[in-house]
Amino acid sequence: MSENQPLQYRIQEEISELAASVNEIVTKFRDLQNPLKESSEKVPKATKQLDKISEQTEAATHQMLDRVEKIVQQVEDSKKGLDEIKVCTKDGRTDDISALADDLIEKADITCNDAYTIIDALQFQDITSQQMNHAASLLEDIEVRLQSIMGALKGQPSDETHDEKRRDRKTRVYDPHADLFDKKTDQLAIDDMFARKG
Amino acid sequence: MALKIMVVDDSPTVVKFVSFSLKKSGYDVITACDGMDAIEKISNLSDDVSLVITDLNMPNLDGYGLIEALRQNQQHADTPIIILSSEDGDDDRERGMDVGASSYLVKPFKASVLITEVSKYLN
Repeated sequence: MSENQPLQYRIQEEISELAASVNEIVTKFRDLQNPLKESSEKVPKATKQLDKISEQTEAATHQMLDRVEKIVQQVEDSKKGLDEIKVCTKDGRTDDISALADDLIEKADITCNDAYTIIDALQFQDITSQQMNHAASLLEDIEVRLQSIMGALKGQPSDETHDEKRRDRKTRVYDPHADLFDKKTDQLAIDDMFARKG
Repeated sequence: MALKIMVVDDSPTVVKFVSFSLKKSGYDVITACDGMDAIEKISNLSDDVSLVITDLNMPNLDGYGLIEALRQNQQHADTPIIILSSEDGDDDRERGMDVGASSYLVKPFKASVLITEVSKYLN
């Protein structure tokens, strides 16, 4: 019995060390649970954002192509009008020339407005670039969390080179709610709010 | 002499788009890529800026910071400032108003709407 006692103590000591180390592992896993959960939430968010960018870019491109098609048609009609003016000039039909010229001026105005619509639609570049920066920042955040998990699993404290990498990263400034088509508030309501204050 | 308008945005596309629309309407345009750049350029100008159009989210100094800085300066305490932002939440608009913005336009916007807004202050 007395010979067994030191062995018993040793076993107890081993068990208590094992318990401490299991406890440490459990704490570590608990610490890792949050970043993992947050990362898994951010992946679908980034994917959704990228899908939105793709849809909005497509819609803006279609909008512009429709306008370009209209502009090309207007130019074709204008060319026909100019040809008619040439014929009228030859025949000396001045009244017809005046009417054709008026028609051409009207067509030029429409073309100009269509060109402005294209310019307006080109703002999609700014909006999608903000959405892409948002998606990129979500993915970068996931990378940071996954690296910290890897570090923790390897028993490393904080990775300094990783912190340096983060510092060197491009500063991403964006409006997280930037959207090309879906506006929550209309401009009149905003103007009204400012007018009431003024 | 044409009235001078400062356009502050970190997106070169927006700066180009806004500048184009303003120049077509007869205004002179000065551009800046963030709040700090705007303050530096405004303080080095020999003549006054009649109106400022600014984005909100920008590096170095954001739109709120720029408006606060301008409002603290006696020379620009009453200069009309239009915020141009993709953020259309109540908080952003209220904060914009609190720091002293004159009005708030939501991106994307039509050039004609911007010109109408600018004309409200300059005509």
